[in-house]
Amino acid sequence: MVKISVLQHPSSSYLPERPGDPTPTHRNLDPLQHPFARARERIRALNAAKMERMFSKPFITALEGHSDAVEVLSRRPNSITDIASASWDGEVTLHNAGRRKHLAKITGAHQGKVSGLCWADENRILSCGVDRNIKMWNVSQEAPLDSSEPGPSQPKPLVVFPGKGTLHSIDHHSMDPIFATSSTLVQIWDETKSAPVMDITFSTSAESVTRVRFNPSEPSVLASIGSDRTFILYDIRTGKAERRIVMQMKNNDLSWSPTFPTNILLASEDHNLYTFDIRRLNTPTQIYKAHVSAVTSCDWSPTGTEFVSGGWDRTLRIWQEGRGTHPEVYHTKRMQRVLATAFTADARFVLSGSDDGNVRVWKADASEKLGVITARERSAIEYRNALKERWKMDFEIGKVQRSRHIPKPVYKAAQLKRTIEEAQRVKEERRRRHTRAGESKPKAERKKAVIAEQS
Amino acid sequence: MEVEGDMDRTWRISQDEIVNSIGVEAARGRKELALDGGPYRVKYTRNGRHIAIVGQKGHTATFDWKTGTMHSELQLRETCRDITFLQDHSHYAVAQKKYVFIYDRDGVELHSLKSHIEPTRLEFLPFHWLLASVGNTGYLKYQDTSTGKLVAEHRTKLGACVTMTQNVHNAVIHLGHQNGTVTLWTPNLPHPAVRLLAHLGPVFSVSVDQSTGGRYMATAGVDGTVKLWDCRSWGEPLRSWTPRGSHAILAWSQRGCLAVASGGAINVYSRPSIYTPYPAPSPPPLYMTHPQPMKPHASLTFCPFQDVLAIGHAAGVSCILVPGAGEPNFDSSEADPFEGSKARREREVKSLLDKVPSDMITLNPEFLGGLAPPTKLTEGMDPGMIPFARRPRLDRLHVQGKADTAEDRLSDGMAVDSSADRGVVSKHDREEREKRKMRGKGKSLKRYLRKQRKNVIDPRAVALREHLAKQRAEGERTRVTVHDTSKSEQPSALNRFHYRP
Repeated sequence: MVKISVLQHPSSSYLPERPGDPTPTHRNLDPLQHPFARARERIRALNAAKMERMFSKPFITALEGHSDAVEVLSRRPNSITDIASASWDGEVTLHNAGRRKHLAKITGAHQGKVSGLCWADENRILSCGVDRNIKMWNVSQEAPLDSSEPGPSQPKPLVVFPGKGTLHSIDHHSMDPIFATSSTLVQIWDETKSAPVMDITFSTSAESVTRVRFNPSEPSVLASIGSDRTFILYDIRTGKAERRIVMQMKNNDLSWSPTFPTNILLASEDHNLYTFDIRRLNTPTQIYKAHVSAVTSCDWSPTGTEFVSGGWDRTLRIWQEGRGTHPEVYHTKRMQRVLATAFTADARFVLSGSDDGNVRVWKADASEKLGVITARERSAIEYRNALKERWKMDFEIGKVQRSRHIPKPVYKAAQLKRTIEEAQRVKEERRRRHTRAGESKPKAERKKAVIAEQS
Repeated sequence: MEVEGDMDRTWRISQDEIVNSIGVEAARGRKELALDGGPYRVKYTRNGRHIAIVGQKGHTATFDWKTGTMHSELQLRETCRDITFLQDHSHYAVAQKKYVFIYDRDGVELHSLKSHIEPTRLEFLPFHWLLASVGNTGYLKYQDTSTGKLVAEHRTKLGACVTMTQNVHNAVIHLGHQNGTVTLWTPNLPHPAVRLLAHLGPVFSVSVDQSTGGRYMATAGVDGTVKLWDCRSWGEPLRSWTPRGSHAILAWSQRGCLAVASGGAINVYSRPSIYTPYPAPSPPPLYMTHPQPMKPHASLTFCPFQDVLAIGHAAGVSCILVPGAGEPNFDSSEADPFEGSKARREREVKSLLDKVPSDMITLNPEFLGGLAPPTKLTEGMDPGMIPFARRPRLDRLHVQGKADTAEDRLSDGMAVDSSADRGVVSKHDREEREKRKMRGKGKSLKRYLRKQRKNVIDPRAVALREHLAKQRAEGERTRVTVHDTSKSEQPSALNRFHYRP
């Protein structure tokens, strides 16, 4: 007796039952059925990396309208698209980045440049300028335009607060109707009072304070940076400066983390950005090094996982929090020095205001596809991302992923900077070899940033 | 196929019995095509749905053997030696008298590859899109069928070659030569990756086992022997035997059945008995046999995903049933016998996108994604000259005395002879050093240099000094403890002479 069974594949179980049905698929996970699985996956990962570079076209549009450098950007609370910008010719403009048009335009808001801008609530803007005035504007759609004067109709400020000295920065409390301004003094104002209610300047400080920012989640904490290379923390409940650190070089901008209240980001003149934990101010938690010139502005993404910085080197960089190198680099031929940067509230777009008077809109993820994405496309994108992540250590794929085209002056400057740093390091090393043991210990880079801490 | 009685044998069962005892659908695999025009060569597509046959006199045909649909039939009127499908049944290549020609599904001649001269055997590497040919000139040529470039041509220097097969798992080409050697080729090496003297005469047939990932190879020679080789160690064949008749042809199925066509019969052997090493020159237990007297046999091919063995011989093509030879479960993302035209087009584009570069063919395809070779940054430089901060991490840890040396010590213990060598060398070194030390120690220049040297702080020296001090301290401690224990544990008659304060 013999048992014989021969393979047969009846078509009925392998073909669609009715026309239009999907073809049934069969899987055999035996590795022998998938020769070159790894090699093919690598090729797929390489293609995915190349596609990412191919499709990375981050620039979306330039919002025009200013005739001088844009120094301040401020996004409207509870809005994704609206952004207010102010320029050196004393003009304040409210843009709608989605429809690419101006919602409001206040020419001659200040004499000279507008140095600070913030939102009191969804409809009112506070601006300050070098003309020592703080002005509050109503920019809602139904705001009456003042047409009593000849010429183009101009909105009139709701309130004018006379300040003392050239004002550098303004920021509004996230809940209460108070705001802080900085000149050589740091002052707290009430919206309903025409004189400052508090002066919380650090006692021995005489230099100008360039930025003040309230902590968004712990709103009575205020931070400021000054031209005397200091970073100061204030508490408006006690009404005085709590802590101060002196750094190697002065900072140009600061930004509080939106998700982690103790984190603060400083954009420094020494080409670096620093994040600090305000509970331990003696060392920064991370140094972010890539700019080849002074960093002039920075802003956190609303997710708190990345942030954008703009620099004197005419580039915009997008950093991952905690990863101190290899940021995404954005640049265009016509963009001059970037003076202001901002993330939009949906964390998908980045705005930059630059010396050439334009506000530019960029994608936060350079190769992201805008518009409707089908489920199939989405799954393909996710698969490609997983492949890139898995194979990023491969030499060729990693190289494709890392390489960026940057303008020649920036490239050369980075090269020069590397050479200088290398020379310094070698010199230090040699000097150390010729000193008595233990007399000059190498100092960690993070320990060098802060010179003194005072309280 | 299984038998129940002790005295029953599977090889006693003839094709007629098999056909009568199975279903109609499965019995369709048994076919006899009586054709004129010389011994036939047969090839299947990767999904096993389509078959291409070519006779020596130039009769070429491709068809879907399941439905019996003929795609193309050509009378080429010249000597044709081999045929192969390219990526799927839409194109096929024929090795003709002078060159290789490529035809499309309908039999329209698309290309003549004039660089392939007098080809005898063709193989297509589907994941690299390479058409490999070897011919009477003894050149192995790789042509990229997606770009049309000749990727590599290797001069084998071993004369005309009529035996070629590929290992589907690493895309290595196996060639059998007239002097009895079998060589393994990759496009990126100008010489064979492996050269093996397999037979005492010309090699007539080579086949690689797919079911074990290309681990075993079978060769048949004109000297009348069939040998089984383990590709991991080439020393001796696992088994060799002498089948009836001399020119044996071999084929290995997806599930590891080895078919040997020689002397007017096809014998099929099944695993695992094929792989067990066996010193005596006898064949493994027979699984199936089928008489096929129409000699000469020109080709032997198993159909993928079917229990069908196609035999090309002088009088046409016969397909016989070999139960248990084919892989029952196909993966529709790799090769689907039931795919439609849209799926075929989709697969063609996908496989073009995933085309593996030809220079990545190696004996071990799993080398990708492995560990990187050690960096060459500090190689060849004097280690003393590299500043501490720029040395590799392990080096720095060694200097600091923080490196984990447990592994090193272990390997030292293992390698006995090497340590013995080192002992000799170190002794020699020490003598040499002492000799040098003795001479001219007090010279003024030396003294001056020594004084100069004092101020240079070498972190390595410092660390070494610390390490030595630590070692010394440890040795001291152990010595003290040993001394103490000896005192307490071994009371002897001499204890009374110890000084007690």
